[in-house]
Amino acid sequence: MLDVSVKLVLPSDPRLGGVVRGAVEQFAAAFGVPERECCALALAVQEAVTNIIRHAYGNRHDQPIELTCSARADTLEFVLLDEGTAADPARFCAWPLGEVRSGGFGTHIMAQVMDGVQYERLPDRNRLRMVKHLGKVDRVVQG
Amino acid sequence: MKMATRQAGEAVILDVSGDIDLQSSPDLRKALLASLKDSSGVVLNLIRVRYIDSSGIASLVEGWQEAKNLQHRLVLFGLTEVARNVLKLTHLLKLFEVYETESEALSAFSRGEARNSKSETRP
Repeated sequence: MLDVSVKLVLPSDPRLGGVVRGAVEQFAAAFGVPERECCALALAVQEAVTNIIRHAYGNRHDQPIELTCSARADTLEFVLLDEGTAADPARFCAWPLGEVRSGGFGTHIMAQVMDGVQYERLPDRNRLRMVKHLGKVDRVVQG
Repeated sequence: MKMATRQAGEAVILDVSGDIDLQSSPDLRKALLASLKDSSGVVLNLIRVRYIDSSGIASLVEGWQEAKNLQHRLVLFGLTEVARNVLKLTHLLKLFEVYETESEALSAFSRGEARNSKSETRP
């Protein structure tokens, strides 16, 4: 597979959630990922965007978010960059799944859907990298 | 997201449609808590929910907690594949009393069955 990347730059506006989900779903579908899996990938990426809006940007809706969707070899990669405050990695999946809480499900969903989730604080930005190995999904033959 | 309420005996049916996400979930939470307060229970119709994320799940959990506090009931029906999948991913599907159809949900409600006695247990 040739390396393919799509970059989307959008404001931290919750109204644009459908745009993010649509982009991720269509991107994954283009590489043969079945619809149900596409929806799950879109959900996981949207959860990451929601966390950026709520926590990195403190619900400010005019801040930049950059999403890059890449396909290389047998892997889909979704990288999110934002200029908000640093995340606290200790809050990622901070309590066991199944515990009745009224929040904090987003990082669990990311971890459940993706094969790898990696957060990194850059000098002036946050970077979240999520990876899905296509060998682990039943792909749909295009054509 | 759009919502409407209907009365069905002692229960309030809350019909929800569209996307339950960061933007709309506070409205769902507000409607759910108000309906639970004003009735003996809420039957939540999710047939027309296209999308629900973790903020929507959090609203449902708050509703479940409030129902428990008030000793009222919260019953769900018509879960779409998307909604079911999110509840599975968060390991919360079995927390809720879930039925396939409105008539099943209302029957269970009117019979006052114990929670989850007739709920779906599909993994």
